[in-house]
Amino acid sequence: MKDDKSKAELNYRDLTQSDKDLVSKLATGGFSRREVLKLSMATGVSLVAAEHLLTDGKAVNAATPKKGGSLRMASNLHGPDDQLDPTLFTSTIDYTRGRATYNSLVQHSNDLTPQPELAESFEPNANATEWTFKIRKGVTFHDGKKLTADDVVYTMKRHQGEASTSVIKSVLASVKEWKKTGSMEVKAILESPNADLPTLLGLFQTKIVKDGSTGEGIGTGPYVMDSFQPGVKSVHTRNKNYWREGANLDAIEITAITDPVARVNALISGDMQMVTQIEPNAFRQVESADNVTLLSTPAALQLGICILKNTAPGNNDDFVKGMQYIQDRERIVKRVLKGKGSLGNDTPISSAHGADFCSELPQRAYDPDKAKFHFKKSGISSAQLFVAPVTGGIEDVCLTAQANCAKIGFDLQLKKVPTDGYWGAVWMKEPLNVVTWNMRPTANSQLGIQFGPGAAWNDTFWDNKRMGELLSLSLAETDPAKRHAMYCEMQTLVHNGSGMVIPAFSNINDGIANNVMGMPTVPLGQLGGCEWPEFVWLA
Amino acid sequence: MTEQVASKKEAEVIAELDSFAELPDAPPKRKFRLTWVGYVSCAVVAFWLIICLIGPSIAPFHEMDMDGDDSFLPAGEGEYGHFYLGTDYLSRDTLSRILYGARNTIGISLAATLIAYLIGITLGILAAVKGGWIDMGISRVNDAILALPTIMLGLIVIAALGSSIPILIGTAAIIYATSVFRIARALGQDIMVQDFVEAAQTRGEGIWWIIRAEVLPNAAMPLATDFGLRLVFVVLFISSLSFLGLGVQPPASDWGSMVRENLQGLTYGSYAAIWPALAIASFTIAINLIVDDISAKSGGSLAKKMV
Amino acid sequence: MMTRMVMQRIGIGFATLWVVSVIVFVATSILPGDVAEIVLGQSATPETLAALRAELGLDQPWYIRYFGWLGNMMTGDLGISKAGGATISSLIGGRLGNTVMMAGWVAVISIPISIALGLWAAMHPGTWLDRIVTFGTLSLISVPEFFIATVAVLILAVELHWLPSTAYMTGEENFLELMKALAMPLITLVIVVSAQMIRMTRAGILNVMSSPYIEMAILKGVPRSRIIMRHAFYNAIGPIINVIALNLAYLVSGVVIVETIFAYPGLAKLMIDGVQTRDLPLVQACAMIFCGTYVVLILIADIGSILSNPRLRNPK
Repeated sequence: MKDDKSKAELNYRDLTQSDKDLVSKLATGGFSRREVLKLSMATGVSLVAAEHLLTDGKAVNAATPKKGGSLRMASNLHGPDDQLDPTLFTSTIDYTRGRATYNSLVQHSNDLTPQPELAESFEPNANATEWTFKIRKGVTFHDGKKLTADDVVYTMKRHQGEASTSVIKSVLASVKEWKKTGSMEVKAILESPNADLPTLLGLFQTKIVKDGSTGEGIGTGPYVMDSFQPGVKSVHTRNKNYWREGANLDAIEITAITDPVARVNALISGDMQMVTQIEPNAFRQVESADNVTLLSTPAALQLGICILKNTAPGNNDDFVKGMQYIQDRERIVKRVLKGKGSLGNDTPISSAHGADFCSELPQRAYDPDKAKFHFKKSGISSAQLFVAPVTGGIEDVCLTAQANCAKIGFDLQLKKVPTDGYWGAVWMKEPLNVVTWNMRPTANSQLGIQFGPGAAWNDTFWDNKRMGELLSLSLAETDPAKRHAMYCEMQTLVHNGSGMVIPAFSNINDGIANNVMGMPTVPLGQLGGCEWPEFVWLA
Repeated sequence: MTEQVASKKEAEVIAELDSFAELPDAPPKRKFRLTWVGYVSCAVVAFWLIICLIGPSIAPFHEMDMDGDDSFLPAGEGEYGHFYLGTDYLSRDTLSRILYGARNTIGISLAATLIAYLIGITLGILAAVKGGWIDMGISRVNDAILALPTIMLGLIVIAALGSSIPILIGTAAIIYATSVFRIARALGQDIMVQDFVEAAQTRGEGIWWIIRAEVLPNAAMPLATDFGLRLVFVVLFISSLSFLGLGVQPPASDWGSMVRENLQGLTYGSYAAIWPALAIASFTIAINLIVDDISAKSGGSLAKKMV
Repeated sequence: MMTRMVMQRIGIGFATLWVVSVIVFVATSILPGDVAEIVLGQSATPETLAALRAELGLDQPWYIRYFGWLGNMMTGDLGISKAGGATISSLIGGRLGNTVMMAGWVAVISIPISIALGLWAAMHPGTWLDRIVTFGTLSLISVPEFFIATVAVLILAVELHWLPSTAYMTGEENFLELMKALAMPLITLVIVVSAQMIRMTRAGILNVMSSPYIEMAILKGVPRSRIIMRHAFYNAIGPIINVIALNLAYLVSGVVIVETIFAYPGLAKLMIDGVQTRDLPLVQACAMIFCGTYVVLILIADIGSILSNPRLRNPK
């Protein structure tokens, strides 16, 4: 271990400056593992060095984890609807409890490649219409029962069928059948080829539960659930029989503080060691406190305005163009997100998606004259936008747009509505509404979920045949250049044709106490994609 | 009923009114004179009422303009003008937002409180005077609304009907009418057992006469004392709705929401949350001091002599 | 006489409870979205919605749902939370204790303070002392709770590190640790509630002071402290008890902002959560508790008023 490290450092010193820049970019994320390996070959950095940079990009992660201690984590939302049933997980606090209690077949690494977890290995057949999962041996549930293929098949079937209430039912709809092919082997038979199936099996909702149960807090995960009070807190202690390293802490307590100001104060005053969702207004406070760190992970967390294409005024292309040009993207990133975000180009793909991001697509800029021109051409002089605080900063984005619209004589009215009931009553119903999506692990699932023709959550009702073709073609494409060209074409289609306005992407911003070490940086959710229970330790 | 009978009745009423004024139990005549505290408070209220009218036209910026160089700036010169009270969390001018917001805060709370009083007093005195099933019915519904948390009621109404200024006023008015009803009904009942009312009843006075001549004047002062507090509660109710993300629609400003949205600035030493809090406090305290002054002057004149 | 009144009031209490249950049922039904939509949120599809509605029994007509709930309620079965699947009694159990504990401590601290300060201010009307009390209480009443709470946290927890910023309880504290954990919300609520009670006590006593028999006593030359303690206070008890009762009811049901800021698991926040998730059985259960508390407190206040007012005590 020690030798490997010195070797890595030696190799790193041998690099030229431009290589070093490249490599340091790798360490801060934004490149997939595939590219890292390719680059490491090109630059002559040994694989070991590249791996070190990738996984140990932060100095804090280089030290050996220490066992012991306990910590408290506060999420931003909880309530009587807190769940232990993975198929109904919808909030950060559920995801985190799920990570502490259960395991999935597949785990996402920091660079979003699927890693084996309860599946020792996963292999597709030649055309990716069947996937075979070998289940890990010697894994036991917290109550002592051994994990078998039956548990896996039972868990996966909970996402299928008419009576299924799983929130990812439609995401996993491409799987025709889950079949037990051995006592420790499971096969997924697909409707159509899907090379990305393993990444879907790393979703928060696919945690493996015991055959016949709905979860109930008994899993194979690193922590055993001691107590669970929905809307209050849960206490977890270390699983002494955990099947791998990890679970460094003696105990963790998971709760939520819904008031953002109170949440930050709880972190700084030391009541909590980890909190999620630091709002942009609090960045300075967290950064200037000497006992805590602001973790800002670049992610494709979109601040979106959906304009329905199947009704007025969204069916008027000029209106959509006007709404896109009136977004002062630079200002939103600088003022609203305080620099912790990136420019949006009216597509859901950001540089956080790695190679599939189309950097060639010209950035749409704030242009009040063009906006005025398009609004005028559309013949529309006012519109009503429904706003709910679905994600931090979205209201401020709308307020910025409103102020800019007023300057060119367009009357953009904001209708503020509560978050509860929003997804059922407003989103995909009102002609103009706001939206956010958790970042999906692949560009394909991100584009498919929102823009696939006829997709359940095609939230701008934009129906594009070519988009549908490209979505399935790209899944089967293995040539990186061709694949990139396809993704670029899809992003261009969305950029030009859909009713989506995405002026910016927010980073994921959380706060941790300085003695919390080993934080993962998976960009799929708060606090390292909610993966932290397995990795963190206290210095 | 013939005109003759009606006019005869009127004459009787006037005669009895005159004789009643001589009774020892008659309510004291009230005079409104103010102390200097009262005059200062009147000046403050008058100031804010004027701001309600002219606020937007004297504001240096529009309430929605994000013209500051950054959020939570202290007072000073900016690129587009002078920010006398600094900028808020979205780099808007705090002073302008207070000037614009006066209209919403004072307008909504005054309107809601007045409507609450209208509903509450009418129903309360009706219940007290009529009694029986009418009292029973109104009181049960009233108790039921009063027993439920105000924020929850506000949340339900606004989630169901949407948030607009008329709905905010209506919701606040109905919620706070319940407390007014309780007070008005209790006062009404209290007064109905007083000797002078019984005397009037024995004389065969009509119910409306008793309400107008006996119940209302005697209930006026305690109700006025309550008015000031009720107004404060309405202002706070609107601001607590903003705590739940409801309330006045953006970009309109109201003082309570301004306190809420700029709370984070306190940690940077920004006064963006303190100015609107001061605005709320100055207006509501002034109203209450005026009410105090009037009630001390009229009712507690002897109590004052004791000092 | 008193027993008859109490029995009558208990009957009235049940009538009020029933009205509350109807209001809550109607109110939550007119809200956009049902519990299935809220639980599935952004991920809802028509199929999963239909499946979850069937599972939760939401596809039944309203009268079956309402009377089913009413029937269970009569037998003491509060039902199961539609949103999370936990039993309502388990959700409410610990929180009810927390709420009662917080309300109790606030009452124990603030009632004596309020009555003492209110009396004191009423004994010296128009003086500087009185003006300071009046002005101070008005200032505290007119500032939003969340402002007071946040300023208190910034000073006492973030800057000085004297107290924890949240009321986080592990359940294993001794008395001192518990008091420390509860200190911040206690301070905030005592400030908010006392300010109002002081003001009403003062106003109540001054009001009585203007009545003819007190004027008579003053003219007879009875010392003012004696008048206040013997006569005025006794006669002002009715209104004061009423204000205390309403404030206690508020402490049980209305402290959602304080519970939110200090992450204190109490009933008020639970009910708001229930409304926001359209969890009807949960909202109903909370409403029943709040309404029951209110009815009992008002009953006590009414008995107090009647006992202290001879006219009401012996109606003609």
